[in-house]
Amino acid sequence: MRKYLSTFLMRWKMEIQYRGAALGGIVCQMVFGLILIALYRALYLGSPQAMPLSSICTYVWLQQAFFRMLLSSDNDLMDKIRTGGIAYELCRPVNLYGYYYARIGAMKLMGSLLRAVPMLLFASLLPAGWGIAAPASLPALLCALMGLGLGLLCMCALENITMGISMRTIDFRGFQALLNLLMTTFSGNILPLTLFPESWQQVVQLLPYAQLLDAPIRLYTGETPLSAAGSTFLIQLIWLGIFLAIGIHLWQKNTRKMIVQGG
Amino acid sequence: MHFIEVEHLNKSFTVRKKREKGHFLREKTVIHALQDVSFSIDKGELVGYIGPNGAGKSTSVKILSGILTPDSGCANVGGFTPWKDRKNHVQHIGVVFGQRMQLWWDVPILDSYQLLRDIYKVERNAFEKRLEELADALDLTSLLHTPLRLMSLGQRMRAELCGSLLHSPKLLFLDEPTIGLDAVSKLKLREFLQKENKEKGTTILLTTHDMEDIAALCSRVMVLGHGKKLYDGHLPELLARYDTQRTINVRYDADPDFSALPDSCSLQKDGDNYIITYAPETIPTAEMLALLQKAGSMQEMTAQSQNIDHLIARMYKEMDL
Repeated sequence: MRKYLSTFLMRWKMEIQYRGAALGGIVCQMVFGLILIALYRALYLGSPQAMPLSSICTYVWLQQAFFRMLLSSDNDLMDKIRTGGIAYELCRPVNLYGYYYARIGAMKLMGSLLRAVPMLLFASLLPAGWGIAAPASLPALLCALMGLGLGLLCMCALENITMGISMRTIDFRGFQALLNLLMTTFSGNILPLTLFPESWQQVVQLLPYAQLLDAPIRLYTGETPLSAAGSTFLIQLIWLGIFLAIGIHLWQKNTRKMIVQGG
Repeated sequence: MHFIEVEHLNKSFTVRKKREKGHFLREKTVIHALQDVSFSIDKGELVGYIGPNGAGKSTSVKILSGILTPDSGCANVGGFTPWKDRKNHVQHIGVVFGQRMQLWWDVPILDSYQLLRDIYKVERNAFEKRLEELADALDLTSLLHTPLRLMSLGQRMRAELCGSLLHSPKLLFLDEPTIGLDAVSKLKLREFLQKENKEKGTTILLTTHDMEDIAALCSRVMVLGHGKKLYDGHLPELLARYDTQRTINVRYDADPDFSALPDSCSLQKDGDNYIITYAPETIPTAEMLALLQKAGSMQEMTAQSQNIDHLIARMYKEMDL
């Protein structure tokens, strides 16, 4: 277990090598958040929606703060697959799936924490109607954190499948672009899922993309009551199980069939 | 029971090429990277593995280090079949691919080493001791806190090598480890490898195009060409087969008279110098020297043996590689 933990920490060290990039990301996300909220304020002036504006603001800020968790972007790993650097990883006494899982997890968690903390501080200082609201209750906050953790595990497993597929296609960009599009749309990053038509929400909420941020945010704002938290976790666990099974199977097959050419 | 036993290994790749005309259709060609290769290596041996580009050297190293699965054949390395028992097998081997990177690009190399320590489950004290020893031998002590991306090619190569040796592997695969190294680093590296081999009894399989490396390190060489094993034995014996010619450079006071020289030797003029190439088998060296002395009043003379690269080039040519 220690080796996977060390890999996790290593990815984090790599993340903080480029503090300037993180700072740039934070500022960009803050401006993005402000623009989105200004848009929703304009929308609400015209026709108020069922969801209160303060909840929308909270939704937008949490989405922006944890944006880094959404995108599949460990180009380092993808490059290893494309250029054959993965040959070295195969010479390590590690389970490749676990090794990559740890790296992806570190990038998503550490990368977003680095950005989330200053952003949420900033958002909490904004006046009401612009900034982030407090959680519905303390248990709601704890449930949201738990949901975020499960959602993250789920997303890492999903991304490891993308990784496994790109070992077959070599060029990862097509699949990554598709995944990112589905992700930003159905995770609620472009438009909060709560503003989707009622009938759509029934389906979209069950999709894996909604598990990462949408489900925990609903727990945070209290839109999902505490009594329904269990079923949220259950959906997340089911997806996690499915993705783990597919990913592990795919990697096992890949390791046997892989060809690293040249040099 | 040998340490490494390889029997009838076969591996082929399918390479798709674009056709000369058209943009959509591709041609498939099958490349037989290894054809029925068998050999065995004992514990503590230092074996050179040579052959022209594309001979299948790297492919065999990759199979033996558990990266590739062969089409057929079997191998036993220290009790494991590399591709079947990958995780257990790789715990005891070290691999250096001169063309690839194993250390993390953005972080100081010490961090990469610590990660490797955890991956290979090296005990802390043993690790500290080993790192000190390696950093000293490879001149890395002052670089431990420098990220890999800020290093020169030679420094990077040494850092990579250190990374592969941290867990004191029993078996070391080196795939072109001296690429990009300057003369001093190269000599140091050779010295170090020799020491590892002698003192620790590490078995080393060295693949390189630098024949000096092979000549300095390996008593045994294997030659691979077109995926087949062509020679397995001592390097001096192999070279003796192709080292059939001698060259003498001479300079005379006045224009010499070479009419007495036999037809079997070749004569070239380079400025004031005459370069005579002959085969000692047809005309013994003593006789040759006597003839050259008769040709005129000699000012200077040097004898040369054939450069090892030329010999190997000749060998490849004669083996039709």
